[in-house]
Amino acid sequence: MPTSQHIERGILVFTIWASLGFLGLGIVLEGFARDSWPLSACGVGVIVLAFVAHIIVNGVCDTGFTQGEALLGIGTYGFLGLVFIASALFGDISMPDLYSGLTLFGMLAAGFLAYLATRHGLRGAFSRFHMKGDDMSFGAGRRP
Amino acid sequence: MIWLPLYGLFYAMVTLYWARIAAQQNGDYQTFFSTAHSLAPWVSALVLAGASLSGWAIFGGADEIAQRGFGLSAMLQAGIVLALPGVLFFKRLWFVGQRLQLSSQAEMLRMYYGSEFLVVFSTIVAVLFAVAFAGLQLHALSGVVQALSGGAVTAAVAGVGLGLLLFGYVVIGGMRAVGYLGAMQAVLAAAALVGFAGFALIDIGGFGALNAGLAGLASDPAQGGRFMVAGVIQFTEGLGRPTGAVSSSTAVASLSFAFALMGFQASPLAAKIVLSTRSARGFAAGQTWVMAGVFGGLVSVAMACLGAAALVRPGLSVGGLLASVSPWFAAWLFIGALAGVQLMAGLGLLTAGEALVRHIYKPWFHSALDRKATVTVTRVVIGLLVLVSVGMQILTPVTLSVLGALALPLTFQLWTPLLGMTWLRWITPPAAVTGIGFGIAGVLLTEPFGFAVLSFLGLDLPWGRWPWTIHSAAWGMAANMAAVLLISAFTQRRGFGADATEARRFLADTLRTSPRAKALSATAWAVMLAWGFLAIGPGLVFGNAAFVGMDGRWLVGMPSLWAWGLLFWALGLGLIWFLSYKMEMASPVDTGFPAYTPPPRLRRDQRTAEAERLRVLVLTGAVAFSLIVLTALSFGG
Repeated sequence: MPTSQHIERGILVFTIWASLGFLGLGIVLEGFARDSWPLSACGVGVIVLAFVAHIIVNGVCDTGFTQGEALLGIGTYGFLGLVFIASALFGDISMPDLYSGLTLFGMLAAGFLAYLATRHGLRGAFSRFHMKGDDMSFGAGRRP
Repeated sequence: MIWLPLYGLFYAMVTLYWARIAAQQNGDYQTFFSTAHSLAPWVSALVLAGASLSGWAIFGGADEIAQRGFGLSAMLQAGIVLALPGVLFFKRLWFVGQRLQLSSQAEMLRMYYGSEFLVVFSTIVAVLFAVAFAGLQLHALSGVVQALSGGAVTAAVAGVGLGLLLFGYVVIGGMRAVGYLGAMQAVLAAAALVGFAGFALIDIGGFGALNAGLAGLASDPAQGGRFMVAGVIQFTEGLGRPTGAVSSSTAVASLSFAFALMGFQASPLAAKIVLSTRSARGFAAGQTWVMAGVFGGLVSVAMACLGAAALVRPGLSVGGLLASVSPWFAAWLFIGALAGVQLMAGLGLLTAGEALVRHIYKPWFHSALDRKATVTVTRVVIGLLVLVSVGMQILTPVTLSVLGALALPLTFQLWTPLLGMTWLRWITPPAAVTGIGFGIAGVLLTEPFGFAVLSFLGLDLPWGRWPWTIHSAAWGMAANMAAVLLISAFTQRRGFGADATEARRFLADTLRTSPRAKALSATAWAVMLAWGFLAIGPGLVFGNAAFVGMDGRWLVGMPSLWAWGLLFWALGLGLIWFLSYKMEMASPVDTGFPAYTPPPRLRRDQRTAEAERLRVLVLTGAVAFSLIVLTALSFGG
């Protein structure tokens, strides 16, 4: 059963993404709809802000991303990335939309790598992906 | 439109996910009502602030400004007047609750005053909030769903859907679900309010363009009254009478409306959150920075912008904005508004269900009910309350509105028993009970519900709603206080029960005011009265011209009353800080204390008496029903 600290962290994380995350998503979509890169970039900025807020909450609660959060984040990123690449290759996508998509995915990838580097160090960040044997604790729980 | 159902589905999933977590923590029913007093202080602070404003700021407050302008200026101080009772009561109520192991307002009133009348009154207030006050806001939301879906989803279907979701998470997770979700809902509602204001400003061309539009309106002699407080008082017969109020924008209208707002934090709903909190450390910060600071600022700025935009251009109302923005933003804003309304509705339902079952049904009619059965019956009662609320939204919206209007002024009457419990030790049980009776009469005789009942019986009062432009909350409190003062003077020799005596001793010993705070008390009174006079009282008339130049232009580029409101919101924030921390009214106290163990009492077998009471209740209900039908047939309804 989750402890009260886990629950309070969960409330904060849900609150951050329900308010900032969805606002950012809305602004990105608005940018796509209006073919406006600056607007999309603003939306990306809000999403990055949500990401930063999430990391701050993790820091305050002395924990990392949970396995579910990591899976959901990477899964969503991968799925949307595929949709974007497919649209760019086979669809009729405008240049501002292309730049908007590149900004979104580029910023998120850069942000994620920066997070790994600051949290685990460059070598440690690489080790997070280089798992072997019983070292399968990616993204789980408390700091050592 | 795919976005609204998509966001709605996401919201429902999140809601049920947290209800499940809450149910696990509850052990299904063990801590269903009180969370085992484990809510984090920051969660409580957010829930209290969110429930206080609920959907009112988006639907009620902004609409008031859009319809009538800035005349009811106390509305801009909502964050401060909502925080004031919290500063006064919460810390002391929490200490009494912890010491005597109480988890609701009804229990506290029963313990301190030994009055079943007060318990019933507190329950009625909770039911009014759950069914009518929240029902009105849900009704408005259902209308929005119908408009957004272009009529594909009718308001009735939307009402049923929203009611089902509400019912689902409250009965599954109890108070924990209300608390956990409440924190998220409060932030979502605040974000939606900012979003609405932002879109209104973007649409109208910015803050400068908004104020240019307002200045244009103010220059029209027919509209100028919307930017003025119409004097201190108008001695008119009240709304709905031939010579009724010309304007409800007088200074005393503002003051008495502020009283009504102050009622919420004295309600059983607020007490439920306070008594479910694990520590009193967060009340000062919650009331000062969350309620008065952030939410107060949102009211003074965002709600005012939203209302002012609709005043300049009526198409920028909440409904108009939702229809004009992109569908993903409309869905996000709608979910925010829904979250605010459901926060208050969920809290109201849980409090009302608990009060009806644990504090009325169980002690009077079925004391053998065990904890599990009590939770089960409460779940059924909550379902019935949702059913009544949704039914009234669909079938009798006018009655819902009449009942909803009673919630705030009636709950404000609870100030006197709460003051007696926390600060004014000279208020005796007979005085508190009689005061509430007089307060109820004062409210009912100045509200449409009272007129409707009396008219049904063939009586016609010579005044209308809110005579002399004074809100029913103030009429009720005038009668309430008069009775309390008189009866307290005559009944000082009457004692309190053992539990109440312990509560009084405990508060006096534990929360003794420090010499420093005592030395500041004269300053505190002076500052509070000055703020009250100028920000929400008769001094509001100075706000008409405070920021107007000799040439009649607004000196700070916005309506003088709005600027006056912003100034006094900032000063009010300072006042709340001063009272909370410097006067130690809500400041953290580091003291541990054991729970009080009452002397053992012999419990008698109540079954015969309970069966008799149930029989009397059924008979009384049948007779009352027959009399009502007979009266309706005789007088024609």
